[in-house]
Amino acid sequence: METVSEPIVTSKPKVKKNSSSSAFQRIFRYSFVRLITLFVTVVIGVYLTIMIANMGGYVDTIMKAEIRERITISVANNQAYKNMPKDQLNELILERIQLEEKRMGLDRPLVIRSVNFLKNAMTLNLGRAVNMNSDAGSRQVRLIILERLPYTLLLMGTSNLILFFSAMFLALALSRNYGSIWDKIVIALTPTSSAPAWFYGIFFILIFAAVLRILPFGGVMDAPIPETFIARALSVLKHLILPASALIISTFFLSIYNWRTFFLINSSEDYVDTAKAKGLQGRDIERRYILRPTLPYIITNFALMLIGIWTGAIVTETVFQWPGLGRTIFKAIGLYDTPVIVGTTIIYAYLLAITVFLLDFVYALVDPRVKIGGGK
Amino acid sequence: MSKKSFLFVVALLVIASMALTACQPGAPATEAPVVETEAPVVEVQETEVVETAEPTPPPTTRHGGWADEVVFTVVDSASAVTQIQAGAIDIYGSGLSSDKLPEIQAAGLNYSKQNGLYYELTFNPVGPEFPATGKLNPFSSAKVREAMNWLIDRQYLNQEIYAGGALLKWFTITTQFPDYADLADVVKALENKYAYNPEKANEVITAEMEAMGATLVDGKWTYKDEPVTIILLIRNDSDGTRVPIGDYVANQLESIGFTTDRQYKKSSEASPIWVNGNPDDGLFHIYTGAWSATVIDRDQGDNFQFFYCPESAYGFSALWQAKGVGQNPEFNELADKLAYNKFTSLEERRAAFARALELSMEDSNPVWLIDGKNFAPWREGIEVSYDLAAGVDGSYIWPFTLRIAGEEGGTITWGTPDILVDPWNPLAGTNWAFDNQVIRATTSTGILPDPHTGLYWPLRIESGAVYAKEGLPIGKTLDWVTLEFVPENVVPEDAWVDWDAVNQKWITVGEKYPEGTTALIKSVAVYPADLWETVKWHDGSPVTMADFVYTLIMGFDPAKPESAIYDEAIAANLDAVNANIKGIKFTSTDPLTVEFYTDTYALDAEINVTTLWPTLTYGEAPWQTMTAAALAEAAGELAFSADKSEANEVEWTSFIAGPSLEIMTKYLDQAAAESYIPYAPTMSAYITPEEAAARYASAKAFFEKYGHYWIGTGPYILNSVNTTEKIVTIVNNPDYPDLSDKWNMFGEPKVAEVALDGEAQAVLGTDFVFDVAVTFKGEPYAAKDIKEVKVMVYDATGLIVYTGLADLVEDGKYTATIPADKTAAFEAGASKVEVAVVPLIVSIPTFADLEFVTVK
Repeated sequence: METVSEPIVTSKPKVKKNSSSSAFQRIFRYSFVRLITLFVTVVIGVYLTIMIANMGGYVDTIMKAEIRERITISVANNQAYKNMPKDQLNELILERIQLEEKRMGLDRPLVIRSVNFLKNAMTLNLGRAVNMNSDAGSRQVRLIILERLPYTLLLMGTSNLILFFSAMFLALALSRNYGSIWDKIVIALTPTSSAPAWFYGIFFILIFAAVLRILPFGGVMDAPIPETFIARALSVLKHLILPASALIISTFFLSIYNWRTFFLINSSEDYVDTAKAKGLQGRDIERRYILRPTLPYIITNFALMLIGIWTGAIVTETVFQWPGLGRTIFKAIGLYDTPVIVGTTIIYAYLLAITVFLLDFVYALVDPRVKIGGGK
Repeated sequence: MSKKSFLFVVALLVIASMALTACQPGAPATEAPVVETEAPVVEVQETEVVETAEPTPPPTTRHGGWADEVVFTVVDSASAVTQIQAGAIDIYGSGLSSDKLPEIQAAGLNYSKQNGLYYELTFNPVGPEFPATGKLNPFSSAKVREAMNWLIDRQYLNQEIYAGGALLKWFTITTQFPDYADLADVVKALENKYAYNPEKANEVITAEMEAMGATLVDGKWTYKDEPVTIILLIRNDSDGTRVPIGDYVANQLESIGFTTDRQYKKSSEASPIWVNGNPDDGLFHIYTGAWSATVIDRDQGDNFQFFYCPESAYGFSALWQAKGVGQNPEFNELADKLAYNKFTSLEERRAAFARALELSMEDSNPVWLIDGKNFAPWREGIEVSYDLAAGVDGSYIWPFTLRIAGEEGGTITWGTPDILVDPWNPLAGTNWAFDNQVIRATTSTGILPDPHTGLYWPLRIESGAVYAKEGLPIGKTLDWVTLEFVPENVVPEDAWVDWDAVNQKWITVGEKYPEGTTALIKSVAVYPADLWETVKWHDGSPVTMADFVYTLIMGFDPAKPESAIYDEAIAANLDAVNANIKGIKFTSTDPLTVEFYTDTYALDAEINVTTLWPTLTYGEAPWQTMTAAALAEAAGELAFSADKSEANEVEWTSFIAGPSLEIMTKYLDQAAAESYIPYAPTMSAYITPEEAAARYASAKAFFEKYGHYWIGTGPYILNSVNTTEKIVTIVNNPDYPDLSDKWNMFGEPKVAEVALDGEAQAVLGTDFVFDVAVTFKGEPYAAKDIKEVKVMVYDATGLIVYTGLADLVEDGKYTATIPADKTAAFEAGASKVEVAVVPLIVSIPTFADLEFVTVK
C-alpha cells in the first residue's frame, strides 16, 4: 500500500494539515459550493430542456395548427354531425378548438408556462401530462414514469449489470493474457459494436422467434397472461432474454476492449512492474496494484451506468415492444408533451448531480490520495 | 496476412454480411407490382375472399361470440405477417398498407380489403402573382390545375407505390362506394376524359403559362427573368408513401419545364404553412394531402363543400378562403345543395351530383390521386367478416363473426398496433380505434351497420318506421323499416325535448314550444317483446327502462351549467346534437316503442331510424356504474372528460384501470349504503330502493370478479386488463340474447363476377346485343340483390356515346341492347362496351368490358 501511495502523493499539491474542526469546515464549505454549483447547473439544464422541447415557442404554433386540424377532421368525420347546419357546425368547431387550446395551456405565453414548468420541476412536482396518459390512464407524470420504471430497471439493469461485470472481468483476464488467441478474437470482434442493439434485436427476433420459434417476438409477458405468479415471472424472464441479449451483445466486445486497454495501461505502471519484480502472485497484483488504484474510475463508470439505466433504450424497446421509459420519453418528444419530458429530465438531472456529488466523497473513501476540498 | 489482420477482416465480413442482409427488403419494389399487374384489384379481392370465409356453419345453440376467449396483444405492424406465420398471433386486426400485400399473399394468409388513406394534391390558388413575393403561381389558374389530371399517371402511382393494391381516384367521392356506383356512367365518362395524357397537359399548361406572361427559355419556364419554381410540401411522415408521390409529381412538372423545390416535412412542420399559414406568402404551391374514411358513407354529397369551398368546416383556413376566390358560382351552389340535401327527389340529387363531379374536375383543387386500400391479415383456419370501409378492427361485425373455422369456442390471439391508449368511460372516454375495437365487442346498440353497404340492420330493436315530410329525397332498401311520406309531423306535447337540471325533470315539447312544433322526420323504433327478459348486463342485472331513461338524461345533464357534473367540453358536443332533437317519446314500454322527432335526415330510411339504447358516445354502461362515476365527479374527485380532468387536476375517469377504480368503488359503496337513486325526481319512477341496492351489489360483485367496471351487454365480457403489458382479454358472454350464427349472412362481401359476351363485329345502324352474366362463386347472382346493370358504349373516338340499362333475362343473366337508332350515329372503328353491375347487398360495383369493331 505504501509503495502505491508514495509516487502519487508527491504529484499532489501539498496540503496543510488541519484540525478535525477545520476539516469539517472545509468539507462543509466544499459541499455547499459544490451543491450550489450543481443546482445552478441543473436549473440551467432543465430550463434549456424546456425551451428546446418547446422549440423556443414554435411548438405553440405547431400545436395550435394540430388542434385545428384534428378537431375539424374529428367533427367532419362524426356521423352525428353530418347533417348539422353549417353555422352550428362551425361554431362547435371553434368552441372545441378554444377549449382544447385552453386545456393545453396555449392561451398563456410560453415564458410564463416555462417558469411554471421550471418551478414544478425543481420542486419535483412533476404535475400532469398534456397529451399522454399512464398505461392505466392517469395524466400524472409521476404515475406515467413509475409505471414504466419496473420494466425499465429490469431490462436495463439486467443487461447493464451483466455487461458491466462480465466485460470488466473478462477484460482483466484478457489483460493478463495479452496477445493470446482469445485476446485477438475479442479485438477482431470489437467492430461488431458498431451495430446498435436494435440491429441485433431484429436478428435475434428473426432467428429465435420467427424461425426457431423458441422465444417470443416481443412484449413482456405471454398473452393470455399466465395465472400463477411463478408462471408470470418465468414468462417475463423468457421475454427478457432477447432484448437483454441484444443490449449486451451490441456493446459487449467494445466494452471488453475498452476495459482491457484500460487495464493494460495500468498494468504497465512502474509500481506494477516493481510488484512483479518482487515476485508477487498475479492475483495479488491484480487486486492490489491494478484494481485498487483504478477503483475511482471503475466506480465512476458503475455509477454512471446505474443512472444511465434511467434513460431506457428507445429503439430496442420499440423493436421488442418493451414497455420501458425510453419509449415513454420518445413518445413524449413526439407529442411535445413538455411535462413528461421535463419530468424524466429533472429526475435524470438530479440523479446525475447527486451521483457527481457523492462520487467526490467516494473517491476520498477509496483513494487516500484524494481529499474533499483538498484543492482549496 | 497476419492472424490479427485475418481476424479483423473476418469480423468486418461478418458485419458487412449482417448489414446487407438486414438492409435487403422483403421484395424488391420493382418486382412487387408485377403480381398486381396480372391481377386486377377487384379480381384479387374476389379470389381472396372466396378462400377467406366459408360461412356455412351448422346450426348452433351457442350464444354470444364464437370464440371462448379473444386475447388482444400489441404487435408492431412490421412483424405482423411474420408473427401470424410463426403462430404467435392468429389475426392482425389493423389494416396493413399496400406495400405489405405481396408479403401477405406470399405467406398464404387470408386478408380483408378496406379503405386506407386517400391521397390528393392541394394547390395554393392565390395569384396569378403571390402578393408577398410577386412571383407567378401557375396553379392560380384552374385550367393548369385541371391539366394536372392529365399530367399524372395514377396507374403508375398505384403500381409503383402501392403495389397495385389501391384504386385510382379522380373524385372526392370514394371510388367504388355507393355514390360512385350510383353514378357509374358519369364517373366512367369523366375518368375517360381525364385519363393520363401528358401531351395534352403540356399543351394546356403551356397556353395558360403564356397567357399569364411566362416564357419558356431553354426548356424552363421563367417569369420576370426568374425560373418559375414550384414549391412542393411533401409529407414524409404518416405511411411514407407521400414522398414518392411528391417526387413523382415534381418529376412530371420538371418534365414540362418547371423548376421544383421539394420540401419534405412532417405534419407538424407542414401544417403551419399549408393550412394555417397565409397562402398569399407563397410558401408553397402544392401540398401532398391524405385523408381517411372509415365508414361506408352512403351520402358523400357534402364532400364537395368540405374539400373545395370556403364554406367548408375548414373555412377557418385562409387557404380554403382562397379556394373560393374566382370559384364557379354554379359549383359553389351545387356544393351547398349537396351538403344539405336541398332536393325534392333522388333524381334531382343525382343530376346535381353528376354536374358537381364535372365541375369539381374543372376546379381541381384538390386533384385526387389514389384511394388507398389496407389489408388486415389472418391465418388459415380463422374466419371473420369485415367492413369494406373500416376493415376488421373498425367494424361492428367482427365480434359476431370471428371464429376458428368450424369450431365453437377456443382462444384467438389478436394483434393490434396499440391498445389501452386513453381511459375508457362511456361519456367522454377513449376515442381511439385501438380501444374501440375491443369496446365494440362488449357493447350493444340498437342497430348494426351493414359492413358491405353501410345501411343499418336491427340489432337490439325489432323494426322501425320513418315518417318523412313530403318532398324529402329519402329512399328505403331493407324490409325491417317502413317509409311513409306525410304532409307534416306534429311533435306530441308530452314528448321530451330538454332537461331541467335544477329540478331534474324532463322539459316537454308543450313546455318548450307552447305554440307546438313540427319535425321533418318522425322515426319509430320498436323493440322485441322479450327485451326485458332476454337482455342482461354482464353483471347479471336485467336491462330495464331505468337504463334507457338514465342514458337519455346523461345526454343532456352534463351540458347544463346547473348540473353537478356540468362539463363545458362535453356540453359543446351535446348541445350541438341536442339542438336537432325535436322530441322523444316512449309510446309503450311493453314492447318498448320510441318515437323520435328531428329535422335532420339522411337519404336512406334505415339510417333515419333513431334507436335508443343505454349506450353513450364512447361506450355502454348500466346506470349504477355511471352513477358511481357521476358521484365521484360531483365530489370533484374524477372527471369524465380529459378537459375537465385537466381543469380540475383530477383523474380522467377510467372504468377499467388506474386510480379511478378505487374512487369509483368508494362512491359505489356509498350509493349502495344509501340505496341511492340518481336523479330521483325522474328516476324514482323507474327504480325502487331495493332494485337500486341490488344493482349496486351486482356491480360490486362484478368488480370483485373482474377487477373493473366495464359492464356492457355485448357478445363478449371484458375479462382482464393488463395496462403496462398491453394485453386485454375478452371472454364469451353466454347470456347474450342472440345465437352466434345470427350474422352469418355477412360471411363475405358478395362482389359480383361479371362476364360480357357478344359479336366481335357489329354493323352501325343495327341493334347491338350483348349478354351479361352476373355470378358469385359460379352461382347466378339473384336479381333481387341487384339494383341495376348499367351499359356504356365507347365509340372509336373513345367517348361515351351511349348509356343505358341492361334487361333482366333471369337470375344472373342480362341482355344489353343498344338500339339501332343510336348505333347509327356512332363512329365506325374499334369500340368498347362496358357494364357496371350495381348490387344492393354490397356497395362495390363490378365493371366489365368487351371490345368490338363497328363497321358501316
